[in-house]
Amino acid sequence: MTGKRRDPRAERQARLIAGGERKRFALGAVPQPAGRPRRDPRSLRRAATVPGGVRPRIDWHGGARMAARPGPDARPQSQPEIRITADPAFLVLAVADHPGGALSEHDRETIGAARSLADAGGGAVAVLTSGTVEGLAEAGADRVLSVPAGHIGDYDPEARTAAVLAAIDLLKPRHVLFPESAEGGADLARRVAALSGERLFGGVASLSADAASRRMRGGAMEMAAAPPRLMSIAENAFAAHDGVRHEARALDAPAFAPVRRIGTVTPLAIEAGTLSLADADFILSGGNGVTDWAAFAELGRVLGATLGGSRVVCDEGHLPRDRQVGASGSLVTARCYLAFGIAGAPQHLQGITEVRHVVAINTDLHAEMIKRADLAIIADAQAVMPALVAHAKERRDA
Amino acid sequence: MPSVAVLLSVGRHPASGRARRAPLDARALEMAFSLPNAAVHAIHAGNPDEPALRDYLGMGMERLTVLSIPRDGDPVPALTAHLEQLSPDMVLCGSRAEGGEDSGMVPYLIAHALGYAMVADIAAVSASAATATLTQALPRGRRRLIETGLPVVATVNTAAPAPRQSSFGRARRGVIDILAADAPPDTLADQCEIRPWRPRPKRMRLAAAASAADRLKAMTETRSGEGAVMIQPSPEEAARAIYAYLVEKRIIGDGS
Ligand SMILES: Cc1cc2nc3c(=O)[nH]c(=O)nc-3n(C[C@H](O)[C@H](O)[C@H](O)COP(=O)(O)OP(=O)(O)OC[C@H]3O[C@@H](n4cnc5c(N)ncnc54)[C@H](O)[C@@H]3O)c2cc1C
Repeated sequence: MTGKRRDPRAERQARLIAGGERKRFALGAVPQPAGRPRRDPRSLRRAATVPGGVRPRIDWHGGARMAARPGPDARPQSQPEIRITADPAFLVLAVADHPGGALSEHDRETIGAARSLADAGGGAVAVLTSGTVEGLAEAGADRVLSVPAGHIGDYDPEARTAAVLAAIDLLKPRHVLFPESAEGGADLARRVAALSGERLFGGVASLSADAASRRMRGGAMEMAAAPPRLMSIAENAFAAHDGVRHEARALDAPAFAPVRRIGTVTPLAIEAGTLSLADADFILSGGNGVTDWAAFAELGRVLGATLGGSRVVCDEGHLPRDRQVGASGSLVTARCYLAFGIAGAPQHLQGITEVRHVVAINTDLHAEMIKRADLAIIADAQAVMPALVAHAKERRDA
Repeated sequence: MPSVAVLLSVGRHPASGRARRAPLDARALEMAFSLPNAAVHAIHAGNPDEPALRDYLGMGMERLTVLSIPRDGDPVPALTAHLEQLSPDMVLCGSRAEGGEDSGMVPYLIAHALGYAMVADIAAVSASAATATLTQALPRGRRRLIETGLPVVATVNTAAPAPRQSSFGRARRGVIDILAADAPPDTLADQCEIRPWRPRPKRMRLAAAASAADRLKAMTETRSGEGAVMIQPSPEEAARAIYAYLVEKRIIGDGS
């Protein structure tokens, strides 16, 4: 008797799993369909492949999709999308410092943290400001309470405290967030906490809908709890809101009556000469191309700039070591950097990556510093320095 | 002769974890010494046997008052009651402790309880009979002069003058006056999970570039400027251009 002949091919074919781009056979025990969908590395890879180009290029960060999208110019210039939360489940109040009437990076981060709390539960973010402030919709504010300009002075923590307490009374927010900043946010948060009798969770470094944590014991330990009502947000800990504009609907700011104990306040002129480089806002920097150090010092005095230099001049003793800018000196965050006779070595340029405006004076058109500069002047430093001193004095006397 | 109360806490060395004088509180004490003929009262609420308290005595005080409270007690009620009796013209302390919860709330709670004015982050102080003039330190070296009536609570910033060394002999000779005080236990710590701090990666501001190649470029390349170039101008021309640029970007005010 011959049994029926086995047909291995047909048996195998019978176990073919339908669907999917590759052939798959369920050999052995048939896998139970799991709750999670199967990951398909091939299609992921295909989605991450940047279209065009001769060599295949893969970008795992979603860049391929962005590249595939039409560029900003191709997009129809219709109304930008605005997200509206008409009927929020709760409110998160963020109190902005806005030094000088504009949102600081720390303010944006605070609003970003408030956004994450609100988005986790269908809430909305209200921002309290004094006077009108630009860019709140982009920063992620759904509601804006702006106290009319003039009710709160330049430095007026007592009035700000009263305004925050009135806003809390009005909105009954679930959380109130302050920036933990030396610009006034840290001070304000503590004043509000003392007056309202609530505990402040100060300097929050990580935050989610069910846990907030902050450093304690000199930074050695960390305490975590469910997010309380009053929190202040540490700098550089959260990402600012980045994406869809929010409504930023203006609400009527409540009236408030501060208890004033602090008297008159006068801002003082900055003593630029004694500032550390990291603190300075305007730096006059000299390199190996400067030989007239008396004129350099005089120029610093006349312009009210903090003095700095490249490593060469500090090595030679023209400036003390703590005045060295660069990788092995100070990393500066000044707004303006005025460089005389500096070549712009990579080690030096690393120190000024954060600087907004760079002015360079050099005899060499091809120096790296000239490329980095917003205003470059090809001239002899020794001639320009006295001319600039004379010009500044003349303008001041005029 | 103004009377100044200085609130002192016990600090914690960041590397070794040993108790030490808290640097900001030491600055506050130094500031109190700098006031001409002020009567300085140094006060600590906590454990009177803490050896680090002697570091403060070594800065040149004969006496230090310690309100003896248990370890997990809230120091604010004890301090408030003591200050109410003492009724100083000025209360100075560091802006932030470094050994406990480090919330920075103590001066605010005291100022609120006693109805004193409150000024944060001062770098210098002078006082007359009825007013104090405080210099407040702000970021980027900015300063603000604040005139306020007495009494006032002020917290001292790192911009204040550095404290003097502690001398061993004075630290040994100084007297610690111990006062018993009540302190309700602080319950916040029980409601929180407390664990060692784990450093987190620093958040980088990623450029929102289209592709990975562009992002890498944005991270690694030195930025190039707007690139307005003047070639061999006369010194006067150059000076005018630089000055105009600085005024335009609001780096300096135009003199006229
Ligand atoms: C490990 C390491 C770390 C370093 N860290 C630092 C650092 O932190 N900071 C730092 O600055 N350097 C640092 N350096 C040194 C750096 O590499 C350069 O050597 C240095 O920055 C050059 O300084 P400079 O531009 O002043 O001098 P130079 O390179 O000599 O350049 C002088 C420039 O002045 C111009 N010049 C000459 N005469 C005139 C004139 N009359 N008028 C106008 N311009 C004129 C020249 O054209 C030239 O461009 C480091 C080096 C190493 C190896």
